[in-house]
Amino acid sequence: MGTFIQLVVDGLSTGSIYAALALAIVLVNQATGLINFAQGGMAVLSAYIAWWLTGLGVPLILGILLSVAVSFFLGAIIERYLMRRFERGDPDTAVVVTIGLLTLITGLCGWLWTYNNQQFASLFSLNTIQFGGASISVRSLGTIVVMVVMMILLQALFIGTKLGLALRAVAVNPQSAAFSGLPVGRLLMVGWGLAAVLGAVAGALVAPQLSLTPGMMDTALVYALAAVILGGMTSPIGVVVAAWLIGVLENLAAVYVPFIGYDLKVAVPFILIFVVLIVRPQGLFGRRTVVRV
Amino acid sequence: MRRTTRKAAGIVAMASVLALALAGCARGGGGDGGDGGTAAASPGITDTTVTLGITTPLSGTTAGPGTCTVAGITAYFGAKNAADGGVKFGDGKTRKVEIKALDDGYDPQKAKSNYDQLKDSVFAMTAGLGTPTNRAWREAAIADKVPQVLVMTGDPIFSDQKQSPWQLGFVPTYMNEGEAFGKLLAASGENHKVVILSQNDDYGEGYVSGFKDGIKDASNITVVKELTYEATDTSVDAQITELASTKADVIFNAMSITPLAIAALQKAQQLNWKPSWFLPSNTSSPSAILEPGKASAFPGVYSVAFSQSASSPAFAQTDEGTQFLADLKEYANYKDTPAFPHCIWSYQVGAILDQAFQKTTEPTRDNFMTALRGISDYVAPFMLEGTSVNTTQDGQPAVSTVVVQKYNGKGYDTVDSFG
Repeated sequence: MGTFIQLVVDGLSTGSIYAALALAIVLVNQATGLINFAQGGMAVLSAYIAWWLTGLGVPLILGILLSVAVSFFLGAIIERYLMRRFERGDPDTAVVVTIGLLTLITGLCGWLWTYNNQQFASLFSLNTIQFGGASISVRSLGTIVVMVVMMILLQALFIGTKLGLALRAVAVNPQSAAFSGLPVGRLLMVGWGLAAVLGAVAGALVAPQLSLTPGMMDTALVYALAAVILGGMTSPIGVVVAAWLIGVLENLAAVYVPFIGYDLKVAVPFILIFVVLIVRPQGLFGRRTVVRV
Repeated sequence: MRRTTRKAAGIVAMASVLALALAGCARGGGGDGGDGGTAAASPGITDTTVTLGITTPLSGTTAGPGTCTVAGITAYFGAKNAADGGVKFGDGKTRKVEIKALDDGYDPQKAKSNYDQLKDSVFAMTAGLGTPTNRAWREAAIADKVPQVLVMTGDPIFSDQKQSPWQLGFVPTYMNEGEAFGKLLAASGENHKVVILSQNDDYGEGYVSGFKDGIKDASNITVVKELTYEATDTSVDAQITELASTKADVIFNAMSITPLAIAALQKAQQLNWKPSWFLPSNTSSPSAILEPGKASAFPGVYSVAFSQSASSPAFAQTDEGTQFLADLKEYANYKDTPAFPHCIWSYQVGAILDQAFQKTTEPTRDNFMTALRGISDYVAPFMLEGTSVNTTQDGQPAVSTVVVQKYNGKGYDTVDSFG
């Protein structure tokens, strides 16, 4: 039983990392209709900024908060001066631009801070709490709690605020939104800025665990995209639940399903996606897009 | 106007094609030029210079060790070029050593295309890091008769002369290292329960088979569980949890991914499982892995080595150490104290190539390979007592002897018994 609980909690903790990135992807998608492949790279850049600040003697928590603030502006600037040129054109072009951006940011981080692994201090201690025969680390719990809070805030933003409504309106139909007096350009900038903020939080959560390198988020991004598809592009709660599901199922399948084991566990989320997409193409929690004729 | 532009473009294009064709002819002709009795020089070598090629990861997750592989050898030959004007070859000529290094990002396809790009302008390929990447162009190098020597992989195929006539590995094979651990444990005489976590490829398999060879006659050692992980995994928490449930007192962690090695050490502590650890030489750096992994919490962390560690505080206090770090800064633009052993390793590769060049009597790749295969009992700079370079033994890399070391909280001490 102890092992089982341990695997579940560990899975939730790894899942939370995927979830943070997935939320950022959903946010950009809700505001712009795009999938931003550079989200992982932007998160890494934010983590580097926090790490660089702590190196200058800034306390960790302040360093992270500052990096979050800087990230908001970076996200907004990227939207204003790069992405805007491509947003109203062919969506494929915009996606390719985000991939280019990912390569660019990774290269920039490597050039500025080398490709060596850097040690990033953790907000949470490595101490453990005993629960049902399992040792649960404060770091795992902290990561999970931060994720839950972010998920609730984001869901509240989309559903309960004017800003969220406006963001969604812009994504669904930018032209109508503009006609009804919404400042489309500024809203897009806010959308990208907020997504960069989520990425910065993800970066600060992951960096202590994976040690900071320019390519730190590469694998996490793949899982995050899996969570986005599985959970449904329109639902922040959905993607977080999906990310947790992926983390937990992967762990459990490796240990309890003999033919899967550790060699095939990487396939688990993708098998899951196939099944879900066949049964529910809009994802587990997503809304079906209805077009009235 | 538009027509003129198009015309101009046409002319430029024609001129470029011609220039390229001429350049190609000139190079083809140049290679055959030889003066009478002596053998024609191979590509990449003149009477005054010799060029070495490296393809290694300079970006991506393995970039840390990768940049080190270029830095060490660049520092060695940089200092040599500055002090003596180059290396004195067996034919009496002194040649400056130049290095061309390209980034492969640990991607086999990129490594192959780097090799294709370099093969006609370098005398030999050397020092590059990585098993899949070096394997990717091994057959091409054999077909082209280009030396692929002193490469940093523990894959034994590179040291098998029949299969790899133009190759030679540098670091001990994975089996050499695994066996050293097994023998140390077997010799302890006490009963030990061992678990193994290994990378699911040749790297991990090599370590495990070497380890099992080391313990095959020992009745005091029981391997109670073996698990694997994929090199692309982001976490090994589940594996460590499962292994911890066995309550084994020794873990052999045949792992090559730095962040995972740190995470594994941390996870075991969270589970309050404190076995002794065996770590391969390339993931046991005190500053890059053991300190962040808080390895002092364990009764013992063991690794194997054949060279001193540049990151141990004692290193910088020796004259050679100070000189090495200064050369690294001056000639290779590598400012920090290296956290990875690869800087020292490739410095040693430079020293071994130096030995081989001194015995190279003709400026040909063939002659160089013969010279390289004739080095025995050479103690390269920074080698640990009890280890040496021997390139004469078929099936073994240039360095096949290792000593087991134990972490002392800062660096490593050589030990001859477990516990």
